[in-house]
Amino acid sequence: MRPVAVIGVGKTPFGAFPDQDIRSLAVAAGQACLADAHVSPSKVEAFYLGNFAGPSFVGQNHLAPYIAGAMGITGVPCTRFEAACASSGSAFFHAVSAVGAGLYDLALVTGVEKMTSQSTPKVTEILAGAGDMCGEGRAGATFPALFAMIARRHMYQYGTTREQMAAVAVKNHANGAKNPQAHMRKVITMEQALNGKPIAEPLTVYDCSLISDGAAAVLIAPLERASEYSADPVRVLGIAQTSDQVALDQKADITTFIAVQQAAQKAYKMAGVTAKDIQFAELHDCFTIAEIVAMEDLGFVEKGQGGPYVLEGRTCLKGERPINTSGGLKSKGHPVGATGVAQICDVALQIRGEAGERQVARHSLGLAQNLGGSGATAVVTILSAA
Amino acid sequence: MSTTPVLPTDSPGAGVIYTETIVHAPPEQFAADAPYQLVVVTLDSGGRLTARIAGDRVGIGDPVDFAEFRIGIPFFQKKS
Repeated sequence: MRPVAVIGVGKTPFGAFPDQDIRSLAVAAGQACLADAHVSPSKVEAFYLGNFAGPSFVGQNHLAPYIAGAMGITGVPCTRFEAACASSGSAFFHAVSAVGAGLYDLALVTGVEKMTSQSTPKVTEILAGAGDMCGEGRAGATFPALFAMIARRHMYQYGTTREQMAAVAVKNHANGAKNPQAHMRKVITMEQALNGKPIAEPLTVYDCSLISDGAAAVLIAPLERASEYSADPVRVLGIAQTSDQVALDQKADITTFIAVQQAAQKAYKMAGVTAKDIQFAELHDCFTIAEIVAMEDLGFVEKGQGGPYVLEGRTCLKGERPINTSGGLKSKGHPVGATGVAQICDVALQIRGEAGERQVARHSLGLAQNLGGSGATAVVTILSAA
Repeated sequence: MSTTPVLPTDSPGAGVIYTETIVHAPPEQFAADAPYQLVVVTLDSGGRLTARIAGDRVGIGDPVDFAEFRIGIPFFQKKS
């Protein structure tokens, strides 16, 4: 496979935007991305869309050509990828695979979700569809409930504490407060995080990511052509997507996301790096426990050591390995289908040295980890300076 | 809800609580049930099942017996 580079990034702010629809959000991100790379829509050879539940949230199907057409992109393959919260991570993986294989030179990958036009109970019901609706879903599982059960088991097996999970939320809110595009730009205290309204015990509202509207886009090209478009292209050094059972009760050990472990090992091998080389990362903190489990599955720490690692401050902006400098899904927001590509944008901005107040000191090798459902899809991407 | 699952009828028997939570923010169709305890049971007959709890709250490691199906949802209760 020939090397691939990210040559443009673009994002909308994440938040609740009653005046924006799914198409206008996606178009805004796509246009910002094309402007970043100085590429006109007519040059785009393939359009990859990540979107989880547009048909359920806003009643619109056939989304990829619907959005591409509004951007002036026609006459090319336009396809929507759905892999729950890893929808746009999956779209990105397939776009990189196609450009790497030589099918196209310029591919635009966009992720979008419009969630806030539905009530919270309705959003909860739609999100539950990322699980097994003939099993756990029928019994009344929500996504907070599934991750609450993961948290309970992790606490039982490894002694992980409520304070350690709350430390993820406190850190990510501190980072998000510095991100002008974050949904909830608010610093929170440990005391607040520990005393939030219960959602699914032991998780409180402060352990849960946000219901957001938003879109993100990246433009990719073969590395050998990247300098035609970008002064600071970002290389896709390694990438992998893997899968596991959808239902939580079908997994041997719910304190580990096997798919994340497998995707990480493949991505590290492709990149020729190990976990200890990764300087910073954007991880899928849909719930605070998910960031702890992800750090363990990626090999940043030993199994069971994720909680102490975050509580000791080693993953904060000035720590040894900053995690979720964007604010993560917790503070930046989690428009489900946009999240995977937004993570790629945020890692690329760090590598380009354009992360503003959030800029980390060591920023030449970063990782993005995107998770679908309770771990049935995982995408791990390693990005470096070109 | 567009999914039309086949409803189970056979008793899954007894088991042990593998993990649990109390759901305070339910999906729309279970609004009237909240708060409710959701569990994953490791069945004595092998395998695991996501279920609800009838009666007293249970914790990880507690033995439970199958109680009944309610509209296809398996309910377990603490072993007496």
